[in-house]
Order: sequence, then structure tokens, then C-alpha cells
Amino acid sequence: MTEKTDVRQGTLALMVLKTLETMGPLHGYGIARRIEQTSGDLLAVRYGTLYPALMKLEQEGYVSAKWGVSDNHRRAKYYALTSAGKKQLAKEAREWDRTTAIIARFFPQSEEAS
Amino acid sequence: MRAIRGFLLRARGLVHKGRKERELVEELESHLRMQIDENLGRGMTPEQARRAAILKSGGLEPAKEACRDRGGLPVLEAVWRDVRHTARLFRRSPAFTAVAGLLLALSIGANTAVFTLLDQVMLRRLPVKDPRQLVMIWTTGPNLGGNLGSRASSYPMYQDFQKRGEAFSYVFCRYSTPLSVSVGNEAERVTGELVSGNYFQALGVAPAIGRLFSPESDDRVYKGHPVVVLSHQYWVTRFGADPGVVGKKILVNSYPMVIVGVSAAGFSGIDPARSPQIRVPILMKPLMTPGSDQLRNRRNQWVQIFARLKPGYAVGSAQASLQPLFSQVLQAEVTDPDLRTVPKSVRDQFLARRVLMEQAANGYSDLRRSYSTALPALMSMVGLVLLIACFNVASLLIARAAARRRELAVRLALGASRGQLVRQLLIESAVLSAMGGAAGVFLAVAMIRGLLGFLPAKGMILALSAAPDWRVLALTVALTFLTTLLFGLAPAWRTARVDHWSALKGAESAVAGGGGAARLRKSLVTAQVALSFLLLAGAGLFVRTLANLKQTNPGFRDIDNLITFQVDPARSGYSLDRLKAFCKQLQENIRSLPGVKSVGFAWIPVLSGREADWDVAVEGYPLKEGDERQVFVNRLSPDYFRTMGVALLEGRDFNDRDEGARLPVAIVNRSFVERIFGKENPIGRHLGFNSDPTAKPDIEIVGVVENALNEGVREGVRRQVFLPFAQTEFPYGSAFYVRTSAASESMFAALRRKVAELGPTMPVYEMRTLANQLDETLGTERLTATLSAVFGALATLLAAVGLYGVMALVVARRTREIGLRMALGARRGAVLWMVLKEALGVLAVGLSVGIPAAYWLSRYVSSQLFGVAPTDIRTAAAASVILASAAAAAALLPARRACAIDPTQALRHE
Repeated sequence: MTEKTDVRQGTLALMVLKTLETMGPLHGYGIARRIEQTSGDLLAVRYGTLYPALMKLEQEGYVSAKWGVSDNHRRAKYYALTSAGKKQLAKEAREWDRTTAIIARFFPQSEEAS
Repeated sequence: MRAIRGFLLRARGLVHKGRKERELVEELESHLRMQIDENLGRGMTPEQARRAAILKSGGLEPAKEACRDRGGLPVLEAVWRDVRHTARLFRRSPAFTAVAGLLLALSIGANTAVFTLLDQVMLRRLPVKDPRQLVMIWTTGPNLGGNLGSRASSYPMYQDFQKRGEAFSYVFCRYSTPLSVSVGNEAERVTGELVSGNYFQALGVAPAIGRLFSPESDDRVYKGHPVVVLSHQYWVTRFGADPGVVGKKILVNSYPMVIVGVSAAGFSGIDPARSPQIRVPILMKPLMTPGSDQLRNRRNQWVQIFARLKPGYAVGSAQASLQPLFSQVLQAEVTDPDLRTVPKSVRDQFLARRVLMEQAANGYSDLRRSYSTALPALMSMVGLVLLIACFNVASLLIARAAARRRELAVRLALGASRGQLVRQLLIESAVLSAMGGAAGVFLAVAMIRGLLGFLPAKGMILALSAAPDWRVLALTVALTFLTTLLFGLAPAWRTARVDHWSALKGAESAVAGGGGAARLRKSLVTAQVALSFLLLAGAGLFVRTLANLKQTNPGFRDIDNLITFQVDPARSGYSLDRLKAFCKQLQENIRSLPGVKSVGFAWIPVLSGREADWDVAVEGYPLKEGDERQVFVNRLSPDYFRTMGVALLEGRDFNDRDEGARLPVAIVNRSFVERIFGKENPIGRHLGFNSDPTAKPDIEIVGVVENALNEGVREGVRRQVFLPFAQTEFPYGSAFYVRTSAASESMFAALRRKVAELGPTMPVYEMRTLANQLDETLGTERLTATLSAVFGALATLLAAVGLYGVMALVVARRTREIGLRMALGARRGAVLWMVLKEALGVLAVGLSVGIPAAYWLSRYVSSQLFGVAPTDIRTAAAASVILASAAAAAALLPARRACAIDPTQALRHE
């Protein structure tokens, strides 16, 4: 059985924003499933971590929330990316790229070594 | 921005806590159900699907908890918890809460009330365009002519300024005068204002309906602009806001005029305390003040001049630029034939006159001038009362903090941070001052009503309102928070330093309050004593001033049975001859009324603040250099002096033969005789008011009367010359004086009937007893004396309460020591003295600060005093004695408790 990792708050927010960008408005369960799938089921998204993150994003104005009805006729709260959220996503994506690029410079031989 | 938005949403979360929580639960449950649905789709049994879903997503409760932390504001929630905790604490000690809250409410309310008045009379800017550009212009004396009202200038001088003043975009002028307005058959007396044609343009005031005056159409033709602008308030109250008034014809002083418009709502004029009801172009002056033209007379000063500064000019630079013009005009005036024979010294004085200028952003008001020292003094006093009350509440809070050391220590030991404890204490203070502030606002409304009652309201329209406006409210709130800070910080700061181990152990000092707390409270009480002394000494001075003014002999006798009222036949269109006949007939008719002892009338009513001062020349007494020639003139009917109770010292009263201009006569007062004639007999001498000094004085002095007041008590007795009313060439209004044998008020209706019989539409105004009138002239003094006495008493009471608290604490702390002393043989008297000595020490230190401070501050109120020196020793001594008795009384209770200490009990006390 593969061990699933809990996501960290900071990265989770980025994942949520990215997911909403690709998928459009989505309910919490959908977001969780999508993140798990995208991670190749390496991540487990518990709602104890997901919903506080969503609330924070909503408070910051990056996502908006609205009650709606799901495909299988369940009432659910749908989250959508706001324009501020789009900007934030672009900004964080750039920062993430830069950070990974910098980190990568510290491990140039690691692939050869392994 | 994001942070603020997040904060607001979270704060909202706090308020809508219940709804948010329900939504969250619903969302989480929908999540769980979707998971279960999916698991069912994979072929699990419902039971398995549910178990797997819960395992995967985590428990519902921990998730809710995580969201709750995110959803609300932990700090705000904690504050809210503290507030509720505070409310519980206050409910548990209602006495403390009530006393502290009441102290604050009283002082905050009083502060708001006094400030509301101060604001309206002194600070508020006029509701006009760019009020800060407005200035008032007036000049120093001597003008070598007559003056009417304060800061007056002649109309030609206004025209010079208006045409040639460089620093101004507008120069405009005004003159207040009562007018008689008839609409249909109803005549009523209103406050009118004669204004230059550019008045409204200069102020930037718009019409509510119709049009306002303009220089082009209302300032061109002498006596040629029969138009009226109504004030908005008068339009609403008198004409029911009827838009049809524009174009309507009314009679003003029996002269037909047309209403052309109504000025904007909210604009009440230059004088914030008295607003005119109608305005008339100033070129109509001869018709509005019958018998007095003055539009071309340079020797008579009566208009008040205002101006709007051009951008780039300040008061100083504008004043400097106007002075050369003014001097130039004076140079021209001095060549006037009337002034040719003026002695050189007077001429030099005349040419050295200065232009004065002052910012008029908040208009100009005589009321403000008379209150300009009183109100700031009262504001300072009431501010001191607030400070003293704060000290008291601080002292109470320190005492509470000391008593609560154990509670706080327990909370510290259980892991509360010092920050949390300080927060709790600060919140207690905030809640307390918020309560005090809220109650204070309600008290303030009641107090303002009371304050307005002190102002002389009769005979004028008072534009002062009793509603505390938002600025005053803001000030109250600021006061409240300042208060919180003042007395919240000290105990909080002390408590944060609590050594909770010793507090938990319950060491004695911790139970009764540490030595530091006692020291702090003692210094607070010392400050209270010092401040109380200031207030008491001030109150003493003001109360004695009022008493002195009241005891001053006005020169009139038995003024309770002396009724006065005014009629103004000229303003009802009476000619000079008809007017004289009317007044004479009215005098006879009133004399025939049962209960009337005598009747007289005068041109200028006494004690009204109105005056006519003329330059006099006396036969055989050539003008010496530096001689003050001005005398106060009044025109009187026969029997006036007898009615007023003023004794005739020599010669005779006026009689019915003193009519026409054939043999002009005068009566002078004692003060005039003493100044001009010394011990010589003045009867038969001549004086004159001729502007041509070569003419021989031709008015014969036929009598001398005892001194009596003219303007007011403070102004004292002037040199006065009285002329017969019947010899006047101008149709003046007249003030009647009726001496009655019966209670005066019952005569009012009968007197009105007598006037109506003779002139059915003649308005009668300002009917009252002379005693009332004298009282009204003392409005400022009564306000100051009453309020300062109340403040002084309050301050003393507060200081006594503070002292009592401290002495009780001291006795409690020294219980063991006292017990020991008594066990060793100290007598009760010695113990009593020991405690009293400590209280007197506080008193002595307080007084040693208070007395020099009072001495130093007294100079600021010296102009308000009458018959008492600002550094009056007796007042200071009385204040000290009052404070000392209060202090002794406050210390006596704890001292007696100290005497009653049982040594054996006290020694075991640990």
C-alpha cells in the first residue's frame, strides 16, 4: 500500500486555484477528487485541511462561493475563481517556477548520483 | 486591502456565527455524501461505503474545529468574551459600577453641554462659501461723533473701503434694526438687517426661492429699492413656506415693499446668536429707521463692515494694505468745517486712528464677546471636573485591581498571558467609559436646555439649538476614550507586574493593596485637592462678582413694581408731531389706570445695552487737551425721574412747557456736575451739542439728578445729559416706565389694552418689570457663578470621596502597626491624630500646588470679575477652609475605625 501524503496549506491553495482554473466552478468534493487524481493518488485531501483553505481563499477574495446542485442532484457549494484569484494564481505559479528552478540548481548531480 | 477584507469577513463570521456554522456542517455533509455515493458506485455496501468515506476524509468534528478557527476571529472572540466577563463582573459589584459610571456620565455630560454652547457661540463657522476668507473691519477711536453699536463705522467710510480696498474681492456691510412688518392687517415686530447690495454675493449664499439682492439692482438709488428678502426660517414659520410669497407686497414700517426672495435654508446671518428675519437694502435706511438717515454722515458710525479677502492675502497683510487708505480718508475728513476747530491734541489722536481686522469665519456676535472669557473659563473648569472624576475612577480601579490580585494571579498561574490580563483590564475601563459616555449624552441634552435658560432670550431670535451636534458627539467619544486610556492604563500596567507567587500566597500587602498602589492613589488624591482648590477659588470669585453686581445700587428704587415696555410709532408710519402726541396721550391714559402711581417714558431704554454718546460743549468751560467730551444722552418725558425713583437734587423736572425749540433745556446727572462744574452751581448754565463749535451753547441746565445706571451694572454710571422728549426733532421710539402699587404682572394686560385703545395696530414689545430686566443683564455672570459653584462643589465632593478611599486603605494596611502601637500604650487621641495627620499632609501638598496655580491662572478671569480682586485673600481662605473641612470629614471615618482597632485582634491579623 502506498503511503499517501497530506498536502501542506500553502501548496494546497495553489493546487485549488489551479484546479478551479482548469475545471471551472467546482464543489469541495470535486476539488478534492481532482487534486487526488492529478497527484496520481499520491496525495490525500482531507476535508479538515481542504475547507479551512477554501475559507481562507474566499476571505481573501480569490474564490467566490455559491450554493448549487451537483450532477447527482446533491446540494453543494460551488467555488469559482475570481479575477483576483486568476492574477494571484499567475503570480504564485511564477514564484513556484522560480523557487523550483532555484532549488533545482542546488541538486544538479542528484540524478547522476542515484 | 486583502487583509482588511479578510478581517471584515471574519468579523462578519463572528456575528453570523450560527448561520455560518450551519452552512459549514451542510457543506461538509454534502462532501461526505458524495464520497459515499462514489463508494456505493464501486459496489460497496452502504455500511462499508460510509465507513470508508469517513476514514478517507477525516472526522467531521476535527474538520469543523479547523474551520471554526479559520472562520471567526480568535482575538475578537476573546475580546467579546472579555466584554461579557466584564459585564458579569460589573453586575456583581453594582455599587462600584454605579458610582464610577455616574461620575463619568456627569462629567462627560457637563463637558458636552458646555462645549455645545461654546461651539455654537464661538467656534462654528458660518454656513457660507469659504468662510475662512471672511474678515471683519473696524477702527479705533476717536471718531469725533456718534457711535451706534459695537465695532461700527460710518457708511461713507464703508464706501471708501468698498471702492478702493485692494485686498478684498468684496467689502460689504450690515446694520441690525428692529422693523415693524404688516401683512394684511397684522403688524408684528421683527429683527431686520439692512445690508449692502453685495451682501449675499460676498457670502456666497444662494436663494431658496426667488432672487437675492445684487449690487446692480439693489444698491444704486437712494431710498429707491423697496425690496425684502426673507430668512428661510421666517418664511417657514410666518408664511408656511408658501412659494407664492415672491412678489407679495408687505408693509415695512408702514412703507410698501415687495418680497423678492428667500435666502437659503441654514443661513442665519453673520451673528450666530441673533438671526434677522428679513433683510432690506441699506439704501432704504431713511425709511427703515425713521428720522435717522446717516448715509452721508461721516461723523456717525453705525454699520459693521465685513470683507472677503482676495486669494494671497492674510488678515495681517490686508490690514496693512488698508491702513494707508484709511489714513488718507481721515486726512480728508479732518479738513471738514465741523472738525476745523478741534484742538491739535484731539486732531492728532484722530489722525492716528488704526484700522483693525479680524478673521470672521464664524461671524461676529455681541453675545460671543460677552461670553468669550466666560465660556472658555467654564470649559476649563468642567474639564478639570472631568479630570478629577477620572482620578476618582482610576483610584477605584486601582483599589479593585489590588483587591483582585489573587484572582489575577490565579489566572496567570493557569496560563493566561500578561497581555491577556492587561487586555481584560483595559476592556473593563472601555466598557465603563462607554457606559458613562452613553449616559453622558442624555445628560448633556438636559444640561444644554438648562444652560440656554441663562442666556438673555427676550426680544431677540436665538439661533442656538439644544441639540448636541455630531462634532460634539465626536468630542464626547474622544473624551470617553481619553478617559479610558487615563484610568485604564495605570491599573493595567500595575497588574501586569504582579508577582503572582506572593499574591497567591496571600501576603498581607497583596490583600490590602501594595504600597505602590497606595502611593499612586495618594498622588491622585493630592492632584484632586489641587484641582478642587482651583475650582473652588474660581467659583468663589465668580459668586462674589455676581453678588457684588446684584448689590450695586442701580439708582432706581423698588424695581419690582416698575414695569417697562416699548412702542415705536415711527415704525408704524407716525409723523413726528403725531408721535409726540401719541406718547403724551398714552402717558395720560396710563396714569388714569387704577394701581398706577406714575408714568414716564424715554428715548433709549435703560439697561438695554443701547447708548447714544454725543460730544458736548459747555459754556464757560473751554475744551482742554485730552478732555473726554463724550456724554450719554437720553430724551425723557416729564415725570420720568419720579417714576424711576431717581432723586432730583437741584432745580426742576421737565414739564409740559418744555416743548418746541424756543427754550431748550437739559437736566444733567451728579456725575456730570462733579466732572465739569465741581462745587459750582450748574443751574442756569448752558451746554450744546453743536457740531459747529463757534456757535454758543444754548441749552439751559434746569435740573440735577442723582446718578443712575444707563447701560448695565458693569459699565457703571456715565456722565449723562437728559433732554426733553418733546423737544426732539427726530421721531424716536420710546420706552415707557410705569410705577404701580399692585403686583406688577397683573398690570401687563391692562397696559396692553391702553396701548391698543390708542393705536390698534401698534406692536408692544419687551414688556417686563425692571427687576427682570436688571436680572437679564446679569445672565453671563449668573451662568458663570452658578456653574462654577456647582463644579466647585462637585470637585470638592469627588476629592473628599477620593481621600476617604485612600485613608481607608491606609488604615487597613497599617492595622497591625496601629494595633502594636496601642498595645504599647498609644492613646486613642494619638492614633486619631496619626491618621488625620496623613490626610492633612495630602491636603497641604495639594494646596501648596493649588494656591500658586490659582494665583497664576486668576489673571485670565480678571476681566470677568467685579468688585473683587482676582487674588482675593478671603476667597482663597474660604476655599482652603472648605477643602480642609471636607478633607477632615473624609479622614475622620477611617481614623475612628483605626481607634476602634482591638490590639489583640490586630496583632493576630496576618
